[in-house]
Amino acid sequence: MQPNKIDESSAAESLLMGDIKAGFPSPAEDVREKLDLVKLLVRHNASTFFFRIDGVSMVDADMDEGDIIIVDRAVEPYDGCKAVCFIDGEYTVKKVQLNDGGAVLVPCNEHNTRFKPIPVGPDDEFLVWGVVTYIIKKT
Amino acid sequence: MFALADCNNFFVSCERVFHPELNGRPVIVLSNNDGCAVARSNEAKALGIKMGDPYFKIRSIIERYNVSVFSSNFALYGDMSGRVHQVLRQFAPSVEQYSIDEAFLDLRGMNIPDPDAFAKQISAECRRLTAIPVSVGIAPTKTLAKIASKLCKQYPRLRGGCYMHRPEDIEKVLRRFPVGDVWGIGRRSAKKLDGMQIRTAWEFTRLPETSVRKLFALPGWRTWMELRGIPCIEFENQLEPRQSICVSRSFAHEITDCGLLCEQVANFAESAAAKLRGQHSLALEMAAFAFTNRFKENAPQTFGSQLSVFPDGTSDHRILVSTAVAATRELFRQGYAYKKAGVVITKLIPEEGHVGSLFSDSNELAKDSRLSRSIDKINRSFGPGYVLFGIQGDGHIKMSREHQSPHYTTLWSDIPKVSVK
Repeated sequence: MQPNKIDESSAAESLLMGDIKAGFPSPAEDVREKLDLVKLLVRHNASTFFFRIDGVSMVDADMDEGDIIIVDRAVEPYDGCKAVCFIDGEYTVKKVQLNDGGAVLVPCNEHNTRFKPIPVGPDDEFLVWGVVTYIIKKT
Repeated sequence: MFALADCNNFFVSCERVFHPELNGRPVIVLSNNDGCAVARSNEAKALGIKMGDPYFKIRSIIERYNVSVFSSNFALYGDMSGRVHQVLRQFAPSVEQYSIDEAFLDLRGMNIPDPDAFAKQISAECRRLTAIPVSVGIAPTKTLAKIASKLCKQYPRLRGGCYMHRPEDIEKVLRRFPVGDVWGIGRRSAKKLDGMQIRTAWEFTRLPETSVRKLFALPGWRTWMELRGIPCIEFENQLEPRQSICVSRSFAHEITDCGLLCEQVANFAESAAAKLRGQHSLALEMAAFAFTNRFKENAPQTFGSQLSVFPDGTSDHRILVSTAVAATRELFRQGYAYKKAGVVITKLIPEEGHVGSLFSDSNELAKDSRLSRSIDKINRSFGPGYVLFGIQGDGHIKMSREHQSPHYTTLWSDIPKVSVK
C-alpha cells in the first residue's frame, strides 16, 4: 500500500520521554517501539480508505461535518454497523440494520425529521462499500 | 504451477472504486496530456474505442454515448496497485510484480488441493478488499497462466479465476488463441509467423524445436517450451526491490518537435513514478535520454541524456515529471529526428514508513514546496514561455488534465467526500 509517510518526529516523539542528558543509561532506551497511531487505526492497509463527512444526517453517531472517517472493506458488515453505502448512484454513510434478505439504512439525527430510514430490498442496487471503523475529529 | 493476477481494465477500475455509479457504463482513461485512450472499460471497447485512439478522433463517440473520460491519475493507480499487490502476498510467499496491473505468484511447492477454487478465491478477495476486479489464471507455466487469465476476462462465468492444466484443455484453448497475443511474441515475430501461415498459438507449438531455435532464437524457444507446459521463464522474486527503473520506447514516427518529445518523456516519467511507488522506493537520481535512429545513415545523429538528482529522494510524480520535462528541454536539439526516448531512475532507496497514511499533511506540503521549487527552476532557466506545467490552486499539474480525478488515496486534501444529507 502506498501513501504518505508518517511524520514521526513531531507527534510520536512527544509521546516518549524527553532526552536524558548524560550519565547513566536511561531505562527508556529499551523502549524502541513508538506509539504509532496508524497501527492502532489502520488494521488492514490494503483495504482501508479515508473519507470526509459532508452533511449532518449522522451527527448522533458522532459523525460531524468535516470529520474524517476510516473505512475498512475487510470488516464484514454486521447488524448495526455504520458503513459507507452506495445507493441511488451515490455514496452515503448510514447505520445498517440487516434483516432477511434486505436492509434498512438508518440516518442518525433525531432532531432532523427530514432524514428518513431507507429500506432496501434485494432488487435495489445497494452496496455496503465499507464499514466505518474509526472517526477522526478535531476537538 | 504459476498464477498470473491481472487487474481488469486497471485504470478504469481504479476510477470506478470511487465512482461505483460508473459500473456498467462506458469509461476511458486518457494518456498524459489527454492525448489518447490508454484504458477502456468493456462498454467503451464495445463502442469500438481502441487502445491508443487519439482523443480528438473519438470525441464524437464520447459525446454520443456519454462516455466518462478521465485524465490519467498515476498517484491513484500506483496506490491501488500497491493494495492489490499486498492482497496477493497473502496467497503466496513469492509474488513478482510484473507491471502496474499484473503480478505472478509462484505456487511451486505449495499444497493447493483445488487450484481452480484457489484462483477464484484470490480474485474474490482482491475485489472485496480493494474493489478492483482481478482475473487470475493458474497454469503449469507463466506463459500459460497469462493465457488462462485472459480466458477469465472472456468468460464471466469463470468468476475471475481459471485453472488450465489438462493437456486437452490447453490444446483446445491454444487452437483458438492468436499467436500474436501470446506473452513474449512480439510484433516482429508475429509477422514472421504470419508469413509462415502460423496464426494460432497451437500451430506455433507444432513447429519443430530446431526451427524455432533458428528462427526465433532463445526467447522464442522459451515461449515455445512454456506453451508446451515446460516452465522456462525465471520467476523474478522481488523480495529485493529493483535497483533501477527504466521506461523507454521507440517511436513509430520520429519526433522533431520539442513539445512532442517532452510529452512522451512526461509519460515515461509518470509510469516510472508509478513503478517507484509500487515498490515503495524513492528516486535519488533520474536521467532523461533521447536519441536519433542510428541505422539511418544519412540522417544527422545525436544522443542526449540529462541527469537530475533528488538529494532527499522522491516518488512524487509531479516532481519527476516536471524534472524529466525540464531535462528533455535541455537535451533537445533542433533539427534532429528522435527515434527513441526514455527515463531511467538510476539510484533509488526504500521509502520508509510507507504503510501509514496519517499525519502526512506536512509531508505533502514539503512535497508541494519542492514541486514549486522545481517548477520555479524551470521558469528561471527557460523563461515562462517554455513552461509546460503551472500549479493550480490545489497543487495539481496543469497539463491538459481536464478530467483528472482527485488523488483520493494519497493526498489528505483530496480524500473523497461522502455526502450524508
